[in-house]
Amino acid sequence: MPEVLKAPLVVEFPFTRSLGPVQSAFLTGLRERVVLGVRTTDGRTLVPPVEYDPVTAEEIHDLVEVAPTGTVTTWAWNHAPRRGQPLTTPFAWVLVRLDGADTALLHVLDAPGPDAVRTGLRVRVRWAGERTGAITDIACFEPYDGDPARPGGHSGAFEDPLTGIVAPARLDYTYSPGRAQSAYIDALSARRTVGERCPSCRKVYVPPRGACPTCGVATAEQVEVGPRGTVTTFCIVNIKAKNLDIEVPYVYAHIALDGADLALHARIGGIPYDQVRMGLRVEPVWTEGARHPDHYRPTGEPDAAYETYKELL
Amino acid sequence: MTSEEAAGPRDIAVVAFAQTAHRRSTQESSEVEMLMPVLHDVLAQTGLRTADIGFTCSGSSDYLAGRAFSFTLALDGVGAWPPISESHVEMDGAWALYEAWTKLLTGDADTALVYSYGKCSPGSVRDVLTRQLDPYYVAPLWPDAIALAALQAQALLDAGHTDEPALAAVGARSRSDATANPHAQLTGRVPQGDYVVRPLRTGDCPPIGDGAAAVILAAGERARRLCERPAWIRGIDHRVEAHGLGVRDLTDSPSTRLAAENAGAFERPVDTAELHAPFSSQEVVLRRALRLDDGVRVNPSGGALAANPVMAAGLIRIGEAAARIHRGASDRALAHATSGPCLQQNLVAVLEGDPR
Repeated sequence: MPEVLKAPLVVEFPFTRSLGPVQSAFLTGLRERVVLGVRTTDGRTLVPPVEYDPVTAEEIHDLVEVAPTGTVTTWAWNHAPRRGQPLTTPFAWVLVRLDGADTALLHVLDAPGPDAVRTGLRVRVRWAGERTGAITDIACFEPYDGDPARPGGHSGAFEDPLTGIVAPARLDYTYSPGRAQSAYIDALSARRTVGERCPSCRKVYVPPRGACPTCGVATAEQVEVGPRGTVTTFCIVNIKAKNLDIEVPYVYAHIALDGADLALHARIGGIPYDQVRMGLRVEPVWTEGARHPDHYRPTGEPDAAYETYKELL
Repeated sequence: MTSEEAAGPRDIAVVAFAQTAHRRSTQESSEVEMLMPVLHDVLAQTGLRTADIGFTCSGSSDYLAGRAFSFTLALDGVGAWPPISESHVEMDGAWALYEAWTKLLTGDADTALVYSYGKCSPGSVRDVLTRQLDPYYVAPLWPDAIALAALQAQALLDAGHTDEPALAAVGARSRSDATANPHAQLTGRVPQGDYVVRPLRTGDCPPIGDGAAAVILAAGERARRLCERPAWIRGIDHRVEAHGLGVRDLTDSPSTRLAAENAGAFERPVDTAELHAPFSSQEVVLRRALRLDDGVRVNPSGGALAANPVMAAGLIRIGEAAARIHRGASDRALAHATSGPCLQQNLVAVLEGDPR
């Protein structure tokens, strides 16, 4: 068995999210150094404010400014900050009930060490230097021993309110393709295409995924297929993909390699795009150092009869 | 269609349970390669084939391993052709079981295969789980799963509901019990270790690992034919709390209590409880919410502190409770599953065996 293959995999996306009216007012407020809550019909003030009452599900929109000072309701000391977290030096995670609010906001507290933090500690907002309308406009909280700040009585109406935010997300993985696909990739490195046969229905899957999707049993018997095959169906691509150095139009085809019971797909070259047809016999073209065939080209053999590949369309 | 009479709700039971040996890494296997032996095991216990199963439902999350559509690839291990009646939830498998239970209740099917799997090893699960949080106010701060559990633990300490030695004892008891569980990942004497996020230490946190589980449900007489002592689901319910952590009382779990009430858990005492508490502090919350006294055997399997394949660990609680009934070690058991930060969403099932 070949060694386990591994490769780094980064999944990253800048999520663009629209805001409801309450969320918009709250985040716009942070940009303007104003903290807003929302009043429920039973008179509680929720900070951070939400669009719907978490108890009654009622739509709520009565905005009220609260103070940038408050009290820690629980905390946890993080001695090893992780990527993306608000501070790069050790800090406390805190839930803070701001003065004038009935619920607590999750954020971080900049403190010299865990001995300086306790539930009941008085804290105040430290604003970020550059603010865009995001929860991170609060850089962090810091200990504060003064009087509660007086909220300014802001109405929650702003001249230039935010309508959306961009929230980047990134997760890092180490990808391992598993036994069957590792064996497939390993064989490809020697320019051989190796599928696996189902012990029950005898079909040969290329590329193999380790299980027969029809029978639900493990495939294990390795079967070398190809290198030649038959175009079973195809399409003509007329749109140039970003970062892809291939002239359009070109043909992308399903190819049933000889001995395989599942068609794989690849580009067809070495023939004008409008002459590619079902039944065309093709073979792989490798380029130096490539991990898989660059494309497939005609072999010059007579076309395969429809009967020979009709189950593989 | 079924042969059961229409009067009253149908009796539905867990008739078989299987799980992998949970491990820190299964990098030599793809997800379907990891899952398939468990599917074959659970089918073999009942003698059923895929074609005999009325409904199939699974739970998993592509975010764990970073593989798009991994749940469709996992279906290869079921053998889904000719097309089967199938569904998937992006949740722990306990919620897939709930969906299957409702499907059987309707009479549309007599048997169901429920499975779930989680591969935590390719990524950093404590960071991956930040992506389930409020994307506007919380996720941009990247508060990892251990940090949020630590906030809850500190709230419990402040309220006087527990202390650090009591938390350490929860972990120690779990891993000690897990020595009798061949599937567990972390067993025996494990050092309590340093703070990961204070007040939680290494020993208060679950091991990170990969694994899969599957159960088969069957209704009425079918269940009796497939299993010597079916674990009848007497009640099952799930409830969710507000997503805002600062809105909730983190020292309590009203959603667990309500789900338990609706599942009938308080009607008579249970002898066993399998609680899905990935952090030692969460067992403290659950014991209080469920009013479990010292007479109840809690997590004889070792629980999630001994093996925590995310997305499967909740289904495993139901499976472990059922297996205990199957082998006559329990007559009435409670199984609990959780999802989200700080026990945000909770499912409770009450299982019973026929009188002996």
